[in-house]
Amino acid sequence: MSLVIRKSTVEILCAAKWIFRRDCRLLSTLPEKTEIVVDEKERIPGRKTRSYNPILENRHVYPEFLPDPNPNWRNSLREKMERADMLKRRSQIDIPEFYVGSILAVTISDPHAQGKTNRFVGICIERKGCGLRAEFTLRNVVDHQGIEVRYELYDPTIQSIQVLRLEKRLDDKLLYLRDALPEYCTFPLDMDPEILPEGTPVPINPVQVKLKPRPWLERWERQELKGVSNIEEHLKEKDRVRRELRKTPWEKYDLMKNYRKTIPAEEQSEIWNEVYNQLQQMRVSRKKMSRKRTVTTPKTQLA
Amino acid sequence: MATSNMKLLCSVLNKMRIDHITTRSINSPPRFRPPYWYLPKERVMSDEMLTQENKDFLEEVKQDKLNLQNTLESPLIKSETQETLQWTPGTRRTGLIARKIGNYPLWSKDGKKFQTTLLQVVDNHVIKYIPPEEFKPMKTSKVVWKEKRKLGCLLVGSETIDPSTVTKEYCGLFNTVGMLPKRHLCRFMVSPQASLPTGTPLFATHFRVGDYVDVRAKTMDRGFQGVMKRWGFKGMPASHGVTKTHRRPGNIGAGGEKARVWPGTKMPGHMGNRWRTLRGVKILRINTKHNILWMLGVAIPGETGAMCYLFDTVLPLKKLKTPPPFPTHPPADDLPLEYYDDSIHLFEEPTITFEES
Amino acid sequence: MNQADVSKLVSKLRIKVPPKHRKLSSPQGPEGRLNKLRKTVTGLIKYERIELNYRRADEARQYAERLISEAISHGDCHKPTMEIADYWLLEKQLVHKLFKVLVPRYENCNTAFTKMYKAPQAYYGRHIDKAVLELRGNPYPTLTNKQSNNRLLLQNVLLDAAKYDYRQAKYAEMAEKLGKTEEVKSGQSNEDRNKPSN
Repeated sequence: MSLVIRKSTVEILCAAKWIFRRDCRLLSTLPEKTEIVVDEKERIPGRKTRSYNPILENRHVYPEFLPDPNPNWRNSLREKMERADMLKRRSQIDIPEFYVGSILAVTISDPHAQGKTNRFVGICIERKGCGLRAEFTLRNVVDHQGIEVRYELYDPTIQSIQVLRLEKRLDDKLLYLRDALPEYCTFPLDMDPEILPEGTPVPINPVQVKLKPRPWLERWERQELKGVSNIEEHLKEKDRVRRELRKTPWEKYDLMKNYRKTIPAEEQSEIWNEVYNQLQQMRVSRKKMSRKRTVTTPKTQLA
Repeated sequence: MATSNMKLLCSVLNKMRIDHITTRSINSPPRFRPPYWYLPKERVMSDEMLTQENKDFLEEVKQDKLNLQNTLESPLIKSETQETLQWTPGTRRTGLIARKIGNYPLWSKDGKKFQTTLLQVVDNHVIKYIPPEEFKPMKTSKVVWKEKRKLGCLLVGSETIDPSTVTKEYCGLFNTVGMLPKRHLCRFMVSPQASLPTGTPLFATHFRVGDYVDVRAKTMDRGFQGVMKRWGFKGMPASHGVTKTHRRPGNIGAGGEKARVWPGTKMPGHMGNRWRTLRGVKILRINTKHNILWMLGVAIPGETGAMCYLFDTVLPLKKLKTPPPFPTHPPADDLPLEYYDDSIHLFEEPTITFEES
Repeated sequence: MNQADVSKLVSKLRIKVPPKHRKLSSPQGPEGRLNKLRKTVTGLIKYERIELNYRRADEARQYAERLISEAISHGDCHKPTMEIADYWLLEKQLVHKLFKVLVPRYENCNTAFTKMYKAPQAYYGRHIDKAVLELRGNPYPTLTNKQSNNRLLLQNVLLDAAKYDYRQAKYAEMAEKLGKTEEVKSGQSNEDRNKPSN
């Protein structure tokens, strides 16, 4: 009983306090409503974020349409001509969406190959360059021999680029696959394409590779890699000390350094407004074509 | 008699001038004298403290003048005389002033990649023509090669600028033609029959695809550089007991009678920021709308955004063989947007494939 | 040729950004440079107008602009932005000032958030360029010349007269043109009228 009474007294006290506060408010000269408005006004600037333009998401899909951020090399007219040429090339060949870590099959026409074409399958370990100079590197292990081929994205000798598995990895560059065990970059040349259902986000493959023992091509331990599991095994105390000495934790706060590496959002939206419609049209027409093909191929098989 | 003699003497003394004395000896080189069309261009900018309406008024006047300049028709259209002019291999045409705007690759029809440099010809206009009889350049002491032809001097300007940023005298040079002042002014030596009336606009179509041109420009300024970067010396080994002489030139002369540094020895010093001419550069593609030339190679001197001057090449094997647009290409509206060299693969053409032979 | 970094999205600065950063001599290297600039940026946000060496002012201005633009675009509920503000503002009460005072002040601003003037040099001593760096909309009196909009200055009086003459000439020309076209039109219409009557 006593407990109950105590509880109830506490409640009563609370209620009384609340009523008292309300009364006080009523008594005060400021009306209640205006106070709420003031509260909202104070909150707005903090929570409100700039309206985000969805067209800017293209920067992940077509990074080569953004120019080099070095202002000494920039010229608006040259960039415009370059983009026009890129779109012209894209009207001839389907350059699909792919990322570092995706597995691609590239067919090029090669005057020295048998049948005058050459096909290579591999994992994309690097994408670099902008404009018509954009290039990507494929890596595969064929007959226990690591092979890397660098292709230019807008080279007119490329006959087709096919994405066999669309996925991302944990790092921006997979150059450490050169020092990893060969099973991590061995892919059969007759791999079948895996088709993702429409509208799914690109999956991120969380696989962590194992490195071979030293010597390595680069000092991987200093690069803060997420996709390597056994890097600590191969390190000596000396390497750990030097890694600590070489760390630059202030660099992520260097706002101007980050600014000079990127293209500002206003300039990006100008670029995407210029090219997006054409890119979208191409994509839609390609989809229609591929649907037709998928419909027609079983028929021929049946026949 | 005496008075008249005195008068005569006085008048003679009055008429005597002492400003005819020449002090320069024959052997001393002539002092630098700028060409007589050269007028001081830079002016000191200061805050004029104008009201906003007055600033708008100045802007309006400038805009009106620009509109007036844009409505000017090319004198080539009016005069039908250029029909009679004939190009011969000996004549020299005018050149163009262009701006280097960057480089990007083009591919040839057999799948080879060509790096190209883009040059933009920004509103070039003929400002003045000085016939060979009137043209008297500064005489220098060292005459290396004497031009036997009599050539006239054609002044070409490019890139219209705000008249309030340059001096009045410089503006006056252009006012006589009815134009706003230009940022760059260049002299081209031309044959008298290749002269152009003032106010003629020049376009990128002055050259044709497949022609070779000489490009004159200022090289990149690299500052004071050592001998390895400046002259490509090998330097000395990094190890094997070498101390403090890894990037040094080493010996710079012999002993005996030649015990001195010979003139012209390659040494450290200032590198770049000099006028250099790259000869025999091929034109691969021309855009007629934006007046852009795609030149083969990336060796055109200067950084992106630098100015360069284009001439018909003087290399004997790459000289013009067929008559080019003479004296220049008249403005026309019905030109194709782009001209390509025969060897260049168009981006809108299908993928290159090789046939089995 | 490098690809632009696409992982972050930044809004464009309204000031001219030089292509390369400026080195500030510091024995600690790049970290020491940022520490110097942190002090300056904190001082700028705190006092809203400071006088300092030109080189450092120019560098600090860029960082202050970037900090404010980040704060405007992401708001105070964005963790990385909060970390950046925490790093750049050495006095923590200034973080509140940044998000609660400066962000509302500059939210609808179309110009740069800061202003920089060249300050006079000291008559004796080392000749170092000095600058005054200030936040826009600060409570202090302005540093600009108040004469800049004076209509009674000689150049303005003369330009006013020139403007009047220019406009008059222009209107006269337009009137002439209009008159000519009307004459032509009326002549045509008269002919048209005459034709059916004939």
